This record gives sequence, structure tokens and C-alpha cells, in this order.
Amino acid sequence: MNIDWKNYKPILIPAIKDLHKIDVYEKNGGYKALKKVLSGKSKMTPEEVVNEVKDANIRGRGGAGFNAGLKWSFMPKPDGGPRYLACNGDESEPGTFKDRKIFEYNPHSFIEGAIIAAYAMQIQTIYVYIRGEYRDFIDMMDVAISDAYKKGYLGKDILKSGFSVDMYTHMGAGAYICGEESSLMNSLEGKRGYPRVKPPFPAQKGLWGRPTTINNIETLANVPLVINNGAKWFKGIGAETHPGPVLYGISGHVNRPGVYEYPTGMLLTDLINEVAGGVPGGKKVKAVVPGGSSTPPLRGDSLDGVRMDADSLREAGSMMGTAGICVVDETVDMVDFTWRISGFYHHESCGQCTPCRDGTGWLEKTLDKIRRGDGEMRDIDLLYEICTKMEGRTICALADAAAWPVRYALDRFREDFEARCKKTVYALA
Amino acid sequence: MAEIIIDDKKFEFEEVGKVLQFILDNGMDLPFFCYHPSLSIPANCRQCFIEAGQMVKDRESGEYELDEDGNPVIRWFPKLMTACSLDMADGMVIKTHVTSEKVKVAQADTLELILINHPLDCPICDQAGECPLQIQTYKYGPEGSRFEHKKVHKPKRIQLGPRVILDAERCINCTRCVRFTDEVSKTHQLSIVSRGDKNYPITAEGQVFDDPYSLNTVDICPVGALTSADFRFKARVWEMNQTPSIDVTNGKGVNIDLWTRDNLVMRITPRFNKEVNDHWMPDIGREAYRLFNENRVSKPIIKLDGDQVRSSWNNAFMTVSEKISSVKSDEILLIGSPYASLEDNYAFQNWFNRLGVSDVYFTPHIEKGYGDDLLLVDDHAPNTNGCKALGFKEVDAKKMAKLLSDESYKAVFILGDDLLSRVDIDDSALESKYLVSFATNHTETTKKSDLVIPITSSAEHIGSYINVDERIQRTIPAKETMYTNRKLDLEMSMGRLDHFGTKFDNWVSDKNRVDCIPAWEVLVRIGNEMNLEFNFASPQDVLEDITDKIPALENVSYDRMDKENGIALKLSAPKSVTT
Ligand SMILES: Cc1cc2nc3c(=O)[nH]c(=O)nc-3n(C[C@H](O)[C@H](O)[C@H](O)COP(=O)(O)O)c2cc1C
Ligand code: SF4
Ligand code: SF4
Ligand code: FES
Repeated sequence: MNIDWKNYKPILIPAIKDLHKIDVYEKNGGYKALKKVLSGKSKMTPEEVVNEVKDANIRGRGGAGFNAGLKWSFMPKPDGGPRYLACNGDESEPGTFKDRKIFEYNPHSFIEGAIIAAYAMQIQTIYVYIRGEYRDFIDMMDVAISDAYKKGYLGKDILKSGFSVDMYTHMGAGAYICGEESSLMNSLEGKRGYPRVKPPFPAQKGLWGRPTTINNIETLANVPLVINNGAKWFKGIGAETHPGPVLYGISGHVNRPGVYEYPTGMLLTDLINEVAGGVPGGKKVKAVVPGGSSTPPLRGDSLDGVRMDADSLREAGSMMGTAGICVVDETVDMVDFTWRISGFYHHESCGQCTPCRDGTGWLEKTLDKIRRGDGEMRDIDLLYEICTKMEGRTICALADAAAWPVRYALDRFREDFEARCKKTVYALA
Repeated sequence: MAEIIIDDKKFEFEEVGKVLQFILDNGMDLPFFCYHPSLSIPANCRQCFIEAGQMVKDRESGEYELDEDGNPVIRWFPKLMTACSLDMADGMVIKTHVTSEKVKVAQADTLELILINHPLDCPICDQAGECPLQIQTYKYGPEGSRFEHKKVHKPKRIQLGPRVILDAERCINCTRCVRFTDEVSKTHQLSIVSRGDKNYPITAEGQVFDDPYSLNTVDICPVGALTSADFRFKARVWEMNQTPSIDVTNGKGVNIDLWTRDNLVMRITPRFNKEVNDHWMPDIGREAYRLFNENRVSKPIIKLDGDQVRSSWNNAFMTVSEKISSVKSDEILLIGSPYASLEDNYAFQNWFNRLGVSDVYFTPHIEKGYGDDLLLVDDHAPNTNGCKALGFKEVDAKKMAKLLSDESYKAVFILGDDLLSRVDIDDSALESKYLVSFATNHTETTKKSDLVIPITSSAEHIGSYINVDERIQRTIPAKETMYTNRKLDLEMSMGRLDHFGTKFDNWVSDKNRVDCIPAWEVLVRIGNEMNLEFNFASPQDVLEDITDKIPALENVSYDRMDKENGIALKLSAPKSVTT
């Protein structure tokens, strides 16, 4: 696979001044996809939209990488009662900061995508759940939404098609767990943000017990591109099994951290060395977390040929996640790094499930013990065991997200841990 | 019929329920904490792990596919499943800790995790002895703990409300208490606050947990995080005897257990009855334990020159028989009681019938608007329907006042009821009458009585009560009186102390025995004095006489009440009482 990334022109967030303003957006082809779907000769039925999006294989950008159109097709037939679309802009995973760029620079692409999604699933109400710390972006979104209402893209009888839909923003209150889709629904309902037991799945019983679909902001921003240019065109971008443009959020030890839009399937090394300008001081890359803090860290010396798509990363022993890439240089002790991540998950566990509630704390405390130099070799085994007690045994995936970074850091950077646990290793007399 | 295989044993089932409930219903064991049959299922404790799979069916033949060895092909769920939230299905295969090492390890893992932040203060915890966490840890837990860090500290001794105290460190976050206030009592007063291992349930700031059903959360809390402000530190569970009984402070007839130690009722907890109260009871019913211990009438009381003084039983019996002989039968006013048992009321009616007094009156104790839509009804008394079934004449408080002031009555007999506290009547109107009351506690009525006969309470006798829904249920003695003995009365429960305590042991002292006799027996004894043919030997005798005579109560027996958890009657059937 060869990606001509050097000549790639951004399409999710094109470099157009004031694109967040609705007039500018319209002038540059904005809301064309919505018009195509709802009016004129090109008018599409909801099923046609679902099929087109399914065919395009937009894989969810919220972390799990599930085909968006396929998810939409799980919605039951309308029965006259309410149905909901919840747009996930909670964006709280460490190393992930890409949806904010859409709120800031191209909010209407997301709004347009969400309206098309609502039409495809015959939904009348859209909630946009945005993390509370994004105060400014929430205000910006409110302006964008009210402009879309004024132009008749939202509200009653949109473009005289007979289709109506409303959109509301909802502010999070500082909980990472509220980004988990079922917790997000509880939070939207005004309840404590506890993830729900599945089944039932959101398409069967979601918000207020009604059919609901949850999509990430970036996922939905891709929808107008698919409608305007067709699934075939979309599938031609980037990796075959994981196509489309992606907002790569690169952070850590690089010279130019930031959010960069490129096709999927980019070589990790290209992203680090070329796009982000390499590691400061020419230091070696020790580790890379490729898709947000919950994805297993890769060793810096095993990055050759690793590409940013689901298949390639699975092969390399990690995941695409949110494409939030964190680069760690050789000066970092992975014990410290892992401890810091563990601290986050300990702080953010909602506390419902025993393995997560108490396991996250035990991980952090044990790592802290090692970090302080009090570690013993048996603590390494204990860490593995705690991970085993947590993985796959909880209501939501946070426990896995907390365990994996530890398990894989131990697997891949064991020397760092052993070095700190030396105290209990005695030389044979 | 649909089939499910659990630990290699085949079971048939009709209704699709949850796997955990099915396992429990079929006498097998599985550890669990958050699940409660009468609440929603959050599956959060992750204790009830099992392996689950599905036998694969051949699409064409509809038969189960077999492997080379002739065993059914099973498609296993990739992860361990929580039995509490898993729906049963035809052809499902389940492995519990009995047959799966993986399950056994996972159950021990969860317990180890629960315990790392648990204070382990069992020696001073009220829950010890009836603590699911303690029990499950003994059965399924790890040997010890490998946690060597500081435990999380949380608020302790928090008075959530007038009746409930929280120790957040003991909380295992099962959310049962929260779900109870959300789903059953619907006050929504409790919520979990904070996150992760720091979270615990509490009320909103400034709010008091005064839910009228708050103490149910203490019952269902699987640890000692919620304890009863009144009961805590009063008794250890293993020191008490547990006796099934009926709440006699409300017409609903909530099924309860009386917990006694040294002949004092220490606490009252609800007993499951799907038809009456499910697993719950109102807080107010629990406070009734004091009625059994305090302010009791012990030994008869007689008025001498205007003063009430203690009397011997013989003297009391003689006084009654003399009094009765000195008046005509139409000068006697009989007042039965919705608070007394069916047996006592019937004996009362039957005894006086033999003297030619046929009418028994009673005044229900109904307070409009007192009830709620859960377990409290407007009727304060446990046996209003019993009085009706016996054909007693129902009169309201005004009419009752009139009857009591009627000059033609010279003697008034009041059975087990503080009638005068709800009937407005001048003391002077009573002056010309001789007032005899049969009572358990000192009340307004006993104060005004010329003779008070102490009778047993529902904690001391066998008695049946017909609740507002026409359900007949009975009590079993939980406390000894001066004249009963646990070791002789085979119905009474025996505790460790009853077995091993001695007279000199201050746990088994005589001082808490009340000097009282069941009302029916009092009447037998006075009858003897008067050579009356009235020879009941037990409450069972009385009940048999009742069931012979009252068609609506045909076939009712203690045995049936016990086996069927009470019997639903149809009292609307024509009443004909001829004794
Ligand atoms: C602990 C946890 C946190 C999550 N946080 C987010 C988040 O902040 N934003 C997001 O889009 N998805 C988040 N997800 C994933 C969502 O549950 C869900 O899969 C996603 O929003 C679906 O959208 P998509 O299919 O478009 O990716 C989180 C998942 C977990 C388990
Ligand atoms: S896994 Fe953790 S965050 Fe997820 S529901 Fe359970 S306790 Fe909450
Ligand atoms: S207080 Fe008790 S019932 Fe409530 S959540 Fe904690 S352990 Fe469960
Ligand atoms: S009983 Fe708590 S998870 Fe099943």
C-alpha cells in the first residue's frame, strides 16, 4: 500500500478561512449532501442512505471502529414513538483531542452528517453530548446549530421534504465514563453516569427506553463526504479495510504536536518523523501509544511497517482506538508512564463493577510502590494477576482499558519494571 | 418442555427467568450480592459468574449436533457471564463453581477485590453473623489478602436519617439501597456519590433519609454499611431467636420475624410473603417491638377505694364471677377487639353466649388517609375482618360512646383494645358501671378500669388474624410468659442461650417474663370458677370450634396457614354465627 500523503488535501477540515460560519460553509459546498438526500431528482430513501454509508465502511472514530452504516441498520422499524441519535463529543481519553477541531473549525460538516444520519434512521431528536471542559466549543456549537435552524436545515419540514428533526447540545460534567455510550445515555437522562448492562443494546432500548444510535462526532462528519462523492470514492481513501480520512492527534515527545488530517493506513513512522517533525533532540522513540491511552503501547523499536488502520495495528499488538498517538522518548521510565495512566483509570472508574472499582486502585497503588523503589519481583506477577481479574469481567470496557496498558507495558517493557524491583533480588551467595 | 443443563444435570423449565434465580430456586448455591429478586438487575457486583453456552442445533433436523464422541456440540460465550442478568434459554448449558475451575477462580477473585478496601471490622459490626459478605467469603473467598496498601477511607457513622446510620467504608456499592428508594419506596432519597473506589450512597445535601420504609435498606444491605440507629450494638445475631409472626400494628398483616433474646423482643424484620408484603415492611411496624417489652400489664390490677392495686389471679377470677352473678345478662355490655386474635374474640363471644349475652360490639380503628400505596392501610388494627367474620356488631366511635353511657348496662367487658383512647366519653358516664378490661399494655382504658386482666400479646401466644385483604395468618409464641417454657412448648424457637443458659446466667433471667395468660385461657379459668361448660385446652381447640361453625373459615388450620403462608378467605360468603 502506498499512500501519497504528501499531496493529500484535507477534506474533513479543509483549510478554508471562517469555515465555521454557515455562509462560508454553504459557499464551499456545504449542505449540498443534505439537499441531495432530501430534495430534487437525487432524493434518497432512508434505506438508500443507510446502504450507501454501510457500503462506504466508515469505521467508528470513537474507539471501537464499528461500521457506522451497519450500526444504523440495527435500528428497528419506526413505530411512531420517539427515536434518538446521540452524538458523542465527550472526548476524554488521554491523548485524544480531535473532535474539538471539528467543533472549532468545521461544525457544520458534523451537523449536516448528523441530520443525514437522523433522516436515514427516521430520528426526530439529536443530542450532542460535549465534554464540559469544552465550554467555548459548546457555545460555538450552539451558534452553529441556531444558524442551521435559521437556514431551515434543522427544525420542521426541512427543505420542504416533510422530514423534521431537532438538535440539542448537552454539557458533560467532567466524567470520562460518560463517553461510554450507555453511560452517556444515563447522563443525558439526568441520571448518574453508570454504564448499562448489555443486552438490551441501544438500538433496542436506548434513551428513555427508545431506539437510539450513538456515534462519534468525527464519524458523523464523514457522512456528507460519502453522500457527495459516493461510497466507492470514500473506500478509495487510505486503507482498504478501514478507509477514509482520519484526524490524527499526535502528542508527547514530538517536535510538532497537533491534530493532522491524513488518510487511514499511514505509516506510524511517517506520522512521527515526518508529519510531527520527529522526536526533540533526536532522541529515540521508546514507546508509542497509537490510539488513546487505553490502547496497548508499542515498542519504539517495533514500529517498522506498522500502519494506522485496524488490521495493521492488530497485527502489531495494539488498536486504532481514536487515532490519538502519544510518543514517548527514551528518557521516560515506563513504570512512571504506566503508573500515570493507571492513575487516570483509577480516578475515572465509575465504581459500579467490583473488578474495575477496586482493581484500578490496586493497579495504581502497586505501580506506585514500584515507582517509589519499594517494588518486589512478586509485584510484577501480582500486576498481571490483577489485570486478569479485571479483563472481560465488567459491564463496560473501562476495566479492559485500564488493564491493557499495564499488561502490555509489562510484556513489552519488562526491563523497566524489573529494574525498579531489584531490591528483592538477592545474588546467590 | 425447554431444557437447561446446569453442572451436568438436566432441568426442565416453562417460564424463562434469570439463570441465578433458577439456580437458587432449585436448591443450588451461587454467591451473589447486588441481585435482589424484587429489584431491578444492575449486575454490578460481578460475583455470580458462571460459564454459559448453547447446544448447537442442526438447522434441518432440529436435533442437537453431536461431536465424534457423541457429546452435544456447545457454543460457549467467550466471557464469563453474570447469572443474575442472563436469561435462560432452551438448550443452554451452565457451569458453576461446581464444575468449572475458571468460575471458581473468578468468584474468589471478585471477593478478593471486594475485600481489599473493606475495613474487616466484623468483630464490632452489627451485620456479623448474618452478613452475606462474610458468608460468601467463607464459602468462596480466597485464603487471605495480598493487598498491602492503605485502604480507601470514607465517611463513617453518618446519621443518614432518624433510623439509619451509614458506614461508607463497609459499603460494597451494590446499589441495593439506592434501587430500593428508587423502585419500591419511590422517595429517591439515596444516590451514589463520587466515583470509583471512593463512592458511597448518601442523600442529597441537606436532605434527611426519612423515608417511611428506610429500614428495609438495612435489611437488604449485604454488609454492615447501613445499620439501624435503634438496634445497633444491642444484640448479636447469634444470641437471638427468630420467630415467624405477623405485624399487629396495621391491618395489612405484614409477615415478620420477631427476634428475641432473654424474653425481650430486640427487633422486628420483614418475612417474605409474595401475597402480602413481598420482602418489605414499614418502619413504623418495627418500632412495635417496644410494645412487647415495655409498659406491660403484669399480674391483675383491681380498683380498691379508687386506687388501682395489684391483685392475685384467684382474687381477680373471683371478682369477675361475683360481678357477673350480680347482674342480669342484658346488663352486660361486651366489646370485642380488632386488635385481639380470632381465637380470643371467639372465646370471648362464646363464653358470654353461654351466659345468655349474645351481642358483641366492636369499633374499628380506622384513620382515613393514614395508609399509603405500599404497605400501610388506613386500618390500624390487625383483625377487623376477624371481628366481622364472627358477626360482631360494628359501631363507630360515636355510637360506641352512646353504648358506654347507656344507663342500662351495669358491667362492661373490653377485650384487648385501648378503646377509650379513641372513643370520646366522659369519665362520669362510666362511673355507674363495673369496667373489666383484658389488656396487654397499660393504656387509657386500663387506667379507667375497675379490673384489669393481663393477657398475652401476639409475641406470646398462638393467634390468628384476618387482614384487610381477608387473609388469615397466625402468630407463634416468641417470648415466654411466667407460665410458658421454651423447652416444653415445641413450637417455640430455641436459641443457643436457651439451650445452654442457666438460671444464674443473666441472659436467661426471669425478670423479663410477663405475668399474663391468653384471654381464652382466662375465660376457661373463670368458667371453672363458675362451673361453666367451657373446656378449650388450646388455641387449636378454639380454632377448630370456629372452623366448624363458620363456613367461610372451613378447612382453615394452623398447618395450612404455615404451609401456604396464610390463607385467602372469602368472607363475603353469608355469615351465620350460631354458637
Ligand atoms: C470508557 C469509555 C469511554 C469512551 N469515551 C468515548 C468518548 O469520549 N468519545 C467517543 O466518541 N466514544 C467514546 N467511547 C466509545 C463509545 O462507547 C462508543 O463506542 C462510540 O461513541 C460509538 O461511536 P462510533 O461508532 O461512531 O465510534 C468510550 C468507550 C468507553 C468504554
Ligand atoms: S467497568 Fe468500570 S467504568 Fe465500566 S461500568 Fe464497570 S466500574 Fe464502571
Ligand atoms: S450501603 Fe449497603 S445496600 Fe447500599 S450500596 Fe452500599 S453495600 Fe449496597
Ligand atoms: S449478583 Fe451482582 S453481578 Fe450478578
